[in-house]
Amino acid sequence: MGTINSALSLTKGALDADQAALSVVANNVANANTTGYTEETPDWQENQAINVGGIQVGDGVTETGATSQRDRVLEERLDQQQQLASASSARLTALNSMQALFTPDSGSSSSTAGDIGSDITSFFDSFSSLESDPTDNALREQVLSSASTLAGDISSAANSLNAQSAALDQEASGVVSQVNSLTGAIGQLNLEIQSISPGADAGTLEDQRQQDLSQLSQLIGINQVSTENNGLSITTTSGQLLVSEGQSFQLSTGTVNGATDFFLGGTDITSQLATGGGQLGGYLTAREVDIPSALGSLDQLANSISTSVNAQNNSGTDLDGVTGTVANPLNIFKVPATVAGSAASMSVSMTDPNQIAAAGAGSGTGDNSNAVAIASLAGQTIVNGQTPINYYSNFVSTLGATVSEVQTENTAQNASVTQLQTQNNALSSVNLNDEAAAMSKLESSYQAASQVFTLLNTIMASALNLGEETAVS
Amino acid sequence: MHPAKPELKELVVEASRALARLDATRLEELALSCQALTRARDPEDPDERMQRMRQAREAEADMAVFARVLEATRANLNVMNRLRALRVVQLEYTERQARAGLGAEGGHGDH
Repeated sequence: MGTINSALSLTKGALDADQAALSVVANNVANANTTGYTEETPDWQENQAINVGGIQVGDGVTETGATSQRDRVLEERLDQQQQLASASSARLTALNSMQALFTPDSGSSSSTAGDIGSDITSFFDSFSSLESDPTDNALREQVLSSASTLAGDISSAANSLNAQSAALDQEASGVVSQVNSLTGAIGQLNLEIQSISPGADAGTLEDQRQQDLSQLSQLIGINQVSTENNGLSITTTSGQLLVSEGQSFQLSTGTVNGATDFFLGGTDITSQLATGGGQLGGYLTAREVDIPSALGSLDQLANSISTSVNAQNNSGTDLDGVTGTVANPLNIFKVPATVAGSAASMSVSMTDPNQIAAAGAGSGTGDNSNAVAIASLAGQTIVNGQTPINYYSNFVSTLGATVSEVQTENTAQNASVTQLQTQNNALSSVNLNDEAAAMSKLESSYQAASQVFTLLNTIMASALNLGEETAVS
Repeated sequence: MHPAKPELKELVVEASRALARLDATRLEELALSCQALTRARDPEDPDERMQRMRQAREAEADMAVFARVLEATRANLNVMNRLRALRVVQLEYTERQARAGLGAEGGHGDH
């Protein structure tokens, strides 16, 4: 009887195990379209063998739970690439807005902030025109008008950059509450996972934690450190602790020099966050690096043009026979106090066109030698060793190159994220054969792409070398 | 009538896209197109040379993108290869443990 009972028990056990396994499969099917759900496979445990007449007989298996088909290494790599892609996306958006300020609209010669390049040329050209008739009032009015357009466009561009910086400041501050909410949730999930399932996969709880991690990676650059009992610690990419198992550490903000800075445990970590990745990293890089760099260039341009033109005008004689002095200067532009801020505050201070000193010092009012000298400043290296127009052109080209570089990075990072998502989906959602197929797809795509790259590279090198034909097999 | 030859820029952009979505078949087709493009050229024709030079210049920025996507793919492939190696070691370890466990019990599994 014992043997029959054992056999029945074994059969019942097998049915129970099958039933439990079917529940896991049913759960997989039910959640097939649930975002972030990872397929689970049933775990089987061999039952203790039974002794029948001195012979050990196997007693089947019991279904002991389910394990998610996740891979932390792959998920971490995906999160890492996602934070790079998010950072470059946020930075690219800011850079494109900056570039639009200096790019003439299609079909028009002026951009949002005018066309500073043309303004510089027109301003110095107005002095060339004045050379022909230094006493002509209309030509004198034209000089002040073109000076006003130049100053207005430079000032407007600087003010737009400052407004963009303020907008980025707000965007960055908005990220903090989301980060704090996610780190708090991850800490809580850590506690639940550690208490419910310290030795095995915690299924949906881990899915939830992974989803939170993915969202967090889009917002801020993080490192993940697995701890005992399925726990997880999270630090910023520069090592500041955000989550330690069940405890989370909140980011806070404060105003420093008129901008929002970010603190963790009382330490200002703004510069570390700027290089760390995620949307916050992108916003902060644009706010801390790209905009100050553009503003610095505009300040230098405004300061050099203002001081050089003012100095030259003060060395000549105006239409009333007056020469500028320290007490009564003949300044065309408002004198900038420092280089920083010169662009935003650039304006024309001269209101009387007669004060334009077209004549040389000691010469009659009909003389044009000082107008010639001011016009020639256009070709002199008065802005950081470059002519004004070359300096401005180089500034615009450098900005364009940065935009292009970040665009390239962003495209490549997004492509990398797409590839990793494909691999991750293969691992989490399908069987091992499909996983191997996905891996093989990655390998064959890489090989085929390498071949295409080599061919294209050869074609391009050959085309650019004009006439130097290169053999391609 | 000959089909219109694709601009070099289009080929490069399409190669980046195909690699991003791991479309090996499309990449192989593109490799064939590149080979055909090489064979079809006439190095003596000055107009064609000028056109090729223009196309190459226009495709330069996209080629940089393609290079970066290729580099990212190689990095991903390295990660996946390391992952696979780790899994194989893990599987072997689990199997060895299972065999050792069964051997010690001396029982017959009947799963």
